[in-house]
Amino acid sequence: MLNTLGIVSATATFMGVWLGHVAVRRIDFTTGNLLPPILTTLGLGLCVETFSLLAGDAAISAGLGILGITFMWDSFEFIRQERRIRKGHAPANPNNPRHARILQESPAATTLDWLKREPRGKPYTAEELQSISEGKP
Amino acid sequence: MNWFGLLLGIATLFIIGLGFIWVIRGERYFGYLWWVYVMGAGILLVILSLFIPSNWASALTGVLGASLVWGSTELKEQSIRGELGWYPFRAKKIRPPFADVIEKLKAPHL
Repeated sequence: MLNTLGIVSATATFMGVWLGHVAVRRIDFTTGNLLPPILTTLGLGLCVETFSLLAGDAAISAGLGILGITFMWDSFEFIRQERRIRKGHAPANPNNPRHARILQESPAATTLDWLKREPRGKPYTAEELQSISEGKP
Repeated sequence: MNWFGLLLGIATLFIIGLGFIWVIRGERYFGYLWWVYVMGAGILLVILSLFIPSNWASALTGVLGASLVWGSTELKEQSIRGELGWYPFRAKKIRPPFADVIEKLKAPHL
């Protein structure tokens, strides 16, 4: 008899991480106040975790248990994402008032997506980084 | 009360946390071209989990496999982060077998 618990757990892990990764970036990009999404993901995580505790079936408990924890982690990821925006490690949205404020306050913050390029096998020089940040090819 | 899911969720958090570390270290010393092998190992682990009778061992093997698959899609961006100077850069990397062929493939990123 095949044990499907591993597949269920793997799917919950991959989908939870993927969904969180995409959702946190998109919501942070467009949302002015991060408190509602932080509280929503935290509450959703706690709810899903409660259902996992009440589930009789091991596979349902496993899937919900993993998803619940990843949702709760997402609420913390919102804080980490804002830190990335401040450092310029993720692009800021000038049309989002919160990001516009960060763009004014933090010299490293930028609308440029530094990671939208292919690896080239050698580090960038300070001059290269400067010209990329100025929008030169 | 069924504590299996909650405890498995907490274990998953640690396994994902380990992912942050191995992606950074692995890319530094081996380079992102290993993504094919990491993804393959992850898929193999998920398949292997089907044949493990113990619920805990099967679930943890599945989570570990999924974490490897996810990490394999993060290696390319981590490589760029190193080149940009956000992480220590190491020029001398241990290239994988068939690196020339892998270079022609588009490394996935989700």
